[in-house]
Amino acid sequence: MASSSSSGLTFKLHPLVIVNISDHYTRVKSQTNGCSDGGPPSPPPRVYGCVIGVQRGRTVEIFNSFELLYDPVTHSLDRAFIEKKQELYKKVFPHFYILGWYSTGSDAEESDMQIHKALMDINESPVYVLLNPSINPAQKDLPVTIYESELHVIDGIPQLIFVCSSYTIETVEAERISVDHVAHLKPSDGGSAATQLAAHLTGIHSAIKMLNSRIRVLHHYLVAMQKGEIPCENSLLRQVSSLLRRLPAIESEKFQDDFLMEYNDTLLIAYLAMFTNCSSTMNELVDKFNTAYDRHSRRGGRTAFI
Amino acid sequence: MDIEQKQAELIDHFVNQASTLKASAIWPLIIEATSHPSLFAFSEILSTPTVSELEGTENSLCLDVLRLFAHGTWSDYKSNAGRLPQLVPDQVLKLKQLTVLTLAEMNKVLPYDQLMQELDVANVRELEDFLINECMYAGIVRGKLDQLRRCFEVQFAAGRDLRPGQLGNMLETLSNWLATSDNLLVSIQEKIKWADSTSELDKKHQKDVEDRVEEVKKSLFLKVS
Repeated sequence: MASSSSSGLTFKLHPLVIVNISDHYTRVKSQTNGCSDGGPPSPPPRVYGCVIGVQRGRTVEIFNSFELLYDPVTHSLDRAFIEKKQELYKKVFPHFYILGWYSTGSDAEESDMQIHKALMDINESPVYVLLNPSINPAQKDLPVTIYESELHVIDGIPQLIFVCSSYTIETVEAERISVDHVAHLKPSDGGSAATQLAAHLTGIHSAIKMLNSRIRVLHHYLVAMQKGEIPCENSLLRQVSSLLRRLPAIESEKFQDDFLMEYNDTLLIAYLAMFTNCSSTMNELVDKFNTAYDRHSRRGGRTAFI
Repeated sequence: MDIEQKQAELIDHFVNQASTLKASAIWPLIIEATSHPSLFAFSEILSTPTVSELEGTENSLCLDVLRLFAHGTWSDYKSNAGRLPQLVPDQVLKLKQLTVLTLAEMNKVLPYDQLMQELDVANVRELEDFLINECMYAGIVRGKLDQLRRCFEVQFAAGRDLRPGQLGNMLETLSNWLATSDNLLVSIQEKIKWADSTSELDKKHQKDVEDRVEEVKKSLFLKVS
């Protein structure tokens, strides 16, 4: 059903939309799972909603989304609700129009076309954003696909089918901060220092690994150039030489002094904390000892062992 | 790097012109190329066939001048001044800029005295003016001027044309860098494992202590009852 789109529209998707859809799906899934326990696992529920944004020329930018109730009886979305929501959003964001709708699932289905056609009177060419909620650890890209509808002639009958289009992710500064926050989520029960340290070190490790792979590519390129397999490209060689001249990046005396000073300070503080810990444990031990072996209390003014 | 992008068009222009001109008309072109304020890369022009044919002919001086601009410094020019043709002021400026680049290749911290000697500049004020106006505003060098210690710390310097032997050095530096980052990755892995194993040991120890406490509590309970 899906081939690649030829309409020439460029799509820009904001992360807010993806987070909204995923949040909607998670809420519905956890609510339905909470009610039905003990039975066989039900198929994942499909959630529906509208996406809104701006269309300037050939660029379609999807900023926000809101949820809709799907009526499985009439296979349609709540029309009055859509109108009401559109009016409300128009008051706050006058430039936003309803650009299409979203749903969850692994692939676009036939019944989706009905909803698509129903929305065609609001927007003559709506977009369909599909989020695949199944977790696939091997997958590298986002499980979000954007479909457009195109009139294709199949078996002599002109039909509307879904074609997928490519999109780019566009962020506003505020969105970037929240996406960064989500990306750095530590496990909620990982309060212990070891797991936090491990998480931090893993972050550094992956960053250095990326640097490593890029240096390796440069290295191979230069080796090939030296062997003569690739014609010498002087401009690139000049850039590489200027890059290499920046190494070692920090080696001045001032840096060593500052670094050692900060290192010593950290060690000193850790030592002090350890001291405090030890003395507090010692204090507790002495108290317990006194309580346990305190036979003749307060006799002769002498209270305790120590 | 933006310098390379700025130069790319100029290099193409000069290479095209060099291929079309005949050997005798190359000299004015070389003068124009070496005086151009934004052009610092000459190895492409050096490798065009018309220019390399100049070797050994009566115009080989032009080739020497071009080679000087590609790889040499102001001191090289002074020591050979008798042989080489006179340079126009623009070329002198260009050569001095290229000298700064070469010096930046060797050290990251360039003392003012060395710079003054290499560039034939009499006082610090002129040196600083030269560095700021000609080098930093042109974008070929970025760094900090330290007047108290009388040195110039280079943070970035554009690359000059490579001599044939320098490719080997660059490869060695790259492989060293690669080895260092590999070692660093390994040591980070070890640290992560160490953190995990110490936390495991700690948890085990805690559990042991609690088990002993439970045992003692039970034995006391039995004693009492």
